[in-house]
Amino acid sequence: MSYWINVYRANLKMAIAQMLAYRFAILIWAVWGFVGPLISLAVWTAVSASNKSGIAGGSGQSFSRADFAAYYLVFMIFGHLTMSWDAFEFAYRIQDGRLSPKLLKPLHPIHSDIAFNIAFKLCTSAMVMPAWILLFVLLHPTLPTSWIGLILAIPALFLAGALRYILQYALATIAFWTTRVEAINQLFFTVDSFLSGRIAPLSLLPGVMGSVALYSPFRGMGAFPVELALGRIPTAEILPGFALQIVWLSVALVLFRTLWASGIRQYSAVGA
Amino acid sequence: MRHLKLLSVFYRSSIQTDMEYRADFFTRIIASLLGLLMNVGAFSIAFHYAGKIGGWTFPQAMVLLSIYYLMDGLIEMFIAPNMRAVMEHVRQGTLDYILLKPISAQFMSSFRTVNIWRLVNVLVGVGLSFYTITQRGLVIGATEAFMFAVTLACGAVIVYSFWLCLVTLTFWFVKLDNIEQIVWQAFEAGRYPIDVYPIWLKNTLTYVIPVVFIITVPAQALAGKLSMSYLLVSMFVALSTLVGASAFWRFGLKHYTGASA
Repeated sequence: MSYWINVYRANLKMAIAQMLAYRFAILIWAVWGFVGPLISLAVWTAVSASNKSGIAGGSGQSFSRADFAAYYLVFMIFGHLTMSWDAFEFAYRIQDGRLSPKLLKPLHPIHSDIAFNIAFKLCTSAMVMPAWILLFVLLHPTLPTSWIGLILAIPALFLAGALRYILQYALATIAFWTTRVEAINQLFFTVDSFLSGRIAPLSLLPGVMGSVALYSPFRGMGAFPVELALGRIPTAEILPGFALQIVWLSVALVLFRTLWASGIRQYSAVGA
Repeated sequence: MRHLKLLSVFYRSSIQTDMEYRADFFTRIIASLLGLLMNVGAFSIAFHYAGKIGGWTFPQAMVLLSIYYLMDGLIEMFIAPNMRAVMEHVRQGTLDYILLKPISAQFMSSFRTVNIWRLVNVLVGVGLSFYTITQRGLVIGATEAFMFAVTLACGAVIVYSFWLCLVTLTFWFVKLDNIEQIVWQAFEAGRYPIDVYPIWLKNTLTYVIPVVFIITVPAQALAGKLSMSYLLVSMFVALSTLVGASAFWRFGLKHYTGASA
C-alpha cells in the first residue's frame, strides 16, 4: 500500500509541476469544457421559452428553464471532473514511438497517466472555480433540495470518473492494431453525447433511445451522478444506479486487461 | 494571371503530398458523418419540443448547420493549414525564405498549401443543404440564390481576414495556438441560431469574432430570412476587414526580425 502511495505521490508531484508550467494552455483546454454544456443550455432555454409550463419527457420528469440551468451547470462541473483524453493521447504515443520508453519502466503506464489526469483536474478546477461560481450566480439555477443526494453524488462521481477513464483507456488500446483512432473516438463521442445526457437530459430522449440510455454505461459516466446531486433520482432507483456503474466498471476493467494483454504483444514500435 | 498559375502549382504540389495519406480520407468520412449524425440528432431532439428555436424552423436550422459544415471545411482546407504554417515559420525564423521570394508575401503565405482531405466537411455541408432544400421544401428563388452567393463570398473574405489578423499577432506574441482554440470555441457556437444566446454573447459573435457574418448571415440568405440591407452590411464588413487585415499584416511584417538573427 505504501508503495502505491509513494508511486502516486511522486507522479502527482511531477505532473503538477508540468501543469503549472503550461498554465495558460491547460486553462484553454479546461475552457473547452464550458462550451458544450453552455450551448446546450442556451438551446434548451430557448425551447423552454416557448413552453412556459416546463418540458416534460415520457417518464414524467419535467424541466423548467431553471432546472435546465442547474442540470447543465452540474453537468459541466462533473464533466470536467470525469473527463479523460487518453484515447487521443495514447494513439499519438504509438504513432511516434513515445510509448516504448514508458514500457521499459517497472510500472504500468496507466498509473502515471492517472496521476497526470488527477493533476490536470486539481490545477484546472482551482483555476475555473471562480467561473463556475459566477455562472451559478448569473444563471439562477434550481438549487438541490436535499443534502443526501449531494453526498451520494460524491461516490457516484468517483465511479463515473473511473468508469470513463478505464473505458476510454480500453478504447485507446485499439490503436495497437489500427494506429489511427479518430473514427473510433468520434463514434464513442457521438454515442456518448446522446446516451450520457450531454445533448439532452435522458428523460427527454424520445422513443427507444430513452430506454437504451437507462442501462448503457454512458449514463453511469454522465447523467447519473448529475441527477443524483440534483435530487432527481427516486429513492428506489438510487441503488440500481450505483449497481449499473459498478457492473460496467468491472466490464471495462476486464475489457481493458484483455485488450492490453494482447495489444502489447502486437505492438512494434514506430520510429525505432 | 501569374498568381493563378502559381496557385495551381502550389495546390497541385500539396495535393500530391496528401495523396500519400489516402487512409486519412476514409477515417475523415466516417468521423465526419458520425459528427453529422450527432448534430442532426441534437437538433431533432430539441425541435421535438418546440416548433421554432431562436426563430428558426427545423429545416432552416438544418441549412444553418450545413453552412457551419461548409465553412468549417473551407477553413480547414484553405485557411488554417497556411496560417498554422506561418505561425511555425515565425517561430522558427524560416519566414525569411518566403519574404525573399519575388512575390507578395501575403499571397504566398495565405495560399501555399491546401489540405485536400478536409474537403469532406465541405461535401457534407453541400450535401446537407441540397438534401434539406429538396426534401424539406425550402423554396430558393433567384433573389435568395444571389444573396446567398454574395454573403457566402463575404463570409469567406471575413474569415480569411480574421485569421490573417490572428496570424499577424504572432509577430509580437510568437506562440498563438491557444488563441486558435478560443476562436474554434466561438465558431462552435455558430452551429445554433444566434438568437438562443444572451445579448453579450451575440454581440461578441458579431463584432469581436464575427461568426455571425461567417455562418449565420449566409444561412439566413439561403433560408430566405435575410433583408436586403444586410447584404450591404456584409459587403461593407468584408471589404473593410480585408483592407484592414492586409494593412495590419504589412505593419506586422515590419516587426518581424527573424528568429536566429
